[in-house]
Amino acid sequence: MKKDILVCLEGSSSAESATRLAIDVARTCGAGLAGLAIVDEPDIRAGAAMGIGGSAFKHERDEALVADAHKHTADWIALFERRCREAGLSGRGIEMVGRPSDAILEEMEGHDLAVIGRDANFRFETEREDLKTLDVVLHKASRPVLLVPDVADTALGSIVLIAYDGSNAAKRALNSFATSGLAPGRTIHVATVDDNGARAWEMADRGVQILAAMKIPATVHSVVSVQSNVDALFTLAEQLQAGLMVMGAFAHSRLRHLFSGSAMRGLVERSTIPLYLQH
Amino acid sequence: MTGATPSWAVGPFVLYLLLIASLPLFLGRFWEHNRNKLLVAAVLSLPVLVYLFGSKGGEGATEVLHTAFDYASFMALLGALFTISGGICLRGSLTGSPFINLTFLSIGALLGSLIGTTGASVLLIRPLLRANTRRAYSTHVVVFFIFIVSNAAGLLTPLGDPPLFLGFLRGVPFTWTLRLFKQWAFVNGVLLTVFTVIDRFLLARERRRPRRTDDLFPPDGDDGPLRLEGQLNLVWLLGIVAFVFAIGSFGGTLLGESYLRSLVEILGLVGLAALSFFTTARTVHERNRYSWAPIIEVAVVFVGVFITMIPALSYLAERGASLGIVRPAQFFWASGALSSVLDNAPTYLTFASLATGVANAGSGLLSAANLGGLAAHPFGEKLLVAVSCGSVMMGAITYIGNGPNFMVKAIAEQHHVRMPGFFGYVLWSFAILVPLFGIVSAMFF
Repeated sequence: MKKDILVCLEGSSSAESATRLAIDVARTCGAGLAGLAIVDEPDIRAGAAMGIGGSAFKHERDEALVADAHKHTADWIALFERRCREAGLSGRGIEMVGRPSDAILEEMEGHDLAVIGRDANFRFETEREDLKTLDVVLHKASRPVLLVPDVADTALGSIVLIAYDGSNAAKRALNSFATSGLAPGRTIHVATVDDNGARAWEMADRGVQILAAMKIPATVHSVVSVQSNVDALFTLAEQLQAGLMVMGAFAHSRLRHLFSGSAMRGLVERSTIPLYLQH
Repeated sequence: MTGATPSWAVGPFVLYLLLIASLPLFLGRFWEHNRNKLLVAAVLSLPVLVYLFGSKGGEGATEVLHTAFDYASFMALLGALFTISGGICLRGSLTGSPFINLTFLSIGALLGSLIGTTGASVLLIRPLLRANTRRAYSTHVVVFFIFIVSNAAGLLTPLGDPPLFLGFLRGVPFTWTLRLFKQWAFVNGVLLTVFTVIDRFLLARERRRPRRTDDLFPPDGDDGPLRLEGQLNLVWLLGIVAFVFAIGSFGGTLLGESYLRSLVEILGLVGLAALSFFTTARTVHERNRYSWAPIIEVAVVFVGVFITMIPALSYLAERGASLGIVRPAQFFWASGALSSVLDNAPTYLTFASLATGVANAGSGLLSAANLGGLAAHPFGEKLLVAVSCGSVMMGAITYIGNGPNFMVKAIAEQHHVRMPGFFGYVLWSFAILVPLFGIVSAMFF
């Protein structure tokens, strides 16, 4: 059962969606909720190539951007706390100064689940988009991450698709989800994508058995498709009208990361439903 | 001359320029403090001073004294232009239409040679950013502003860009730079045309989505028609132009080619700067966020530049022809390439000294200490034109090529314009400037 949930605050619409879902999950699970807003001072103040006489202007620019970032984080925290109050929760706002990925990973340690907007730009003062933070967080997260795209729903869907390939990460994701308190009341499907249908069935069934041992009923799906694994999973999720997908994040070995990294990124970027990811 | 300059004596100069370019990137915190800049300058100047006083004796001491006056004159001009332009404030709100943007950049192209590229940049960048607040795409406006106003604009007078003023201090006549009119008109004309095409194209693509309304520096109090504050500074500015012109034209006759001339020059410039500072309303300085910090930093860094370059310039003047750079096009590209990654002022003097060596062809008639001779030499003049154009124009290729480049970037970022990073900006340069310079090279050199 999730006791303490962390939501990463930022101004994008996917971060807004993340906040809405985090409030819903916290209310459902009776968990505490903390909102983390980050001032990315290291990137703002990072060294830059400049001409003679540029230091004074850089200093002025850095101070202005840091002040602006503090102003934004204060606004986001105030908004988050107001929403929590409206939802009857006691949300706690946290402002951290530091590299966004480091701040999120550090704060995650004290929480059971981190909810992050998929398109959140935590380096909003210096970058147009921020792919780096999410990459690092997903690689190093010790806790499950609920990654939320820009969705209109204010609650997690009632149908859940668990992508299970037998890897350690997939097992951890399945177990983590099963004990999260999010499973009860939801229809759960476990699917494996493989060229061999029988093998896929067998693998997915193992996942179902694990859930069954925890008294969580689930349906087996074996997927054999000419599509890529990611596309096959998206197609199945669409057919099932799933509102949440659960899966293991990057594998540990370098070689596996080489192959799974791009697939993972593709899945994250294209997903239209929230993803529950466990490293 | 007491023997040939040893090659090791060039080392501190080269190393110092490399450190100026790289320390802000790799040791930003260290480089922030003027004390540390002074420390680096002192460490690298020390062997040069030991060499000059030890090996060259009285001649070395004379060179150092001469350089000290050059430095003081150089800083007096930069400080005066900085103070006066910081006392002029353009207020009011405009809409960033292609016509308004073109007008701003065209005015900047003209002003750059009058009040210096730094002054023109300080004066125009904030109103231009305000005008483009609602534009979805405004990065290109700032990039072309750097290309034109912060660099290419300054080609016409010694006041325009520090390299040309250094040339003036070393004897290039005040009006000589007017000979660069063709190159100035061509480059700025092409850049303004390309800018207008891009600006119109991007405007057509814009969906007029509103920009963030919570800008840190909202145009509060800057609404209304365009208006100029601190107009008295235009008088002080004309005073600078007239004074520098007079010193350049008649100073030698009236005061002799002596330290007295330099002293009068320095006192005159400092006097005009003081008049500007004390007659300008504090509100104008506040609106321009005027501070002494940038000019103090320039003063600190250039101490090291002026000292370490003494033997380097002698070395190049002595061995110019043997280094393989002998044609104007080579001077244009070589001085330009180095100006894009190192500061363009010392680069200009380096190549002007090299040009002296080449034009001398062993005759010993020309001296790197008096570039007036080079400007009057039939072939030397061509080399000096190439060096002037390369140093001034190609300072635009990177953020570090010329002082105002980074200043404009930093101010734009404060106004939430997403500026490209170092290499992103270089891509813009390679797409637009480098082909243009190729045409300039083919046409003029």
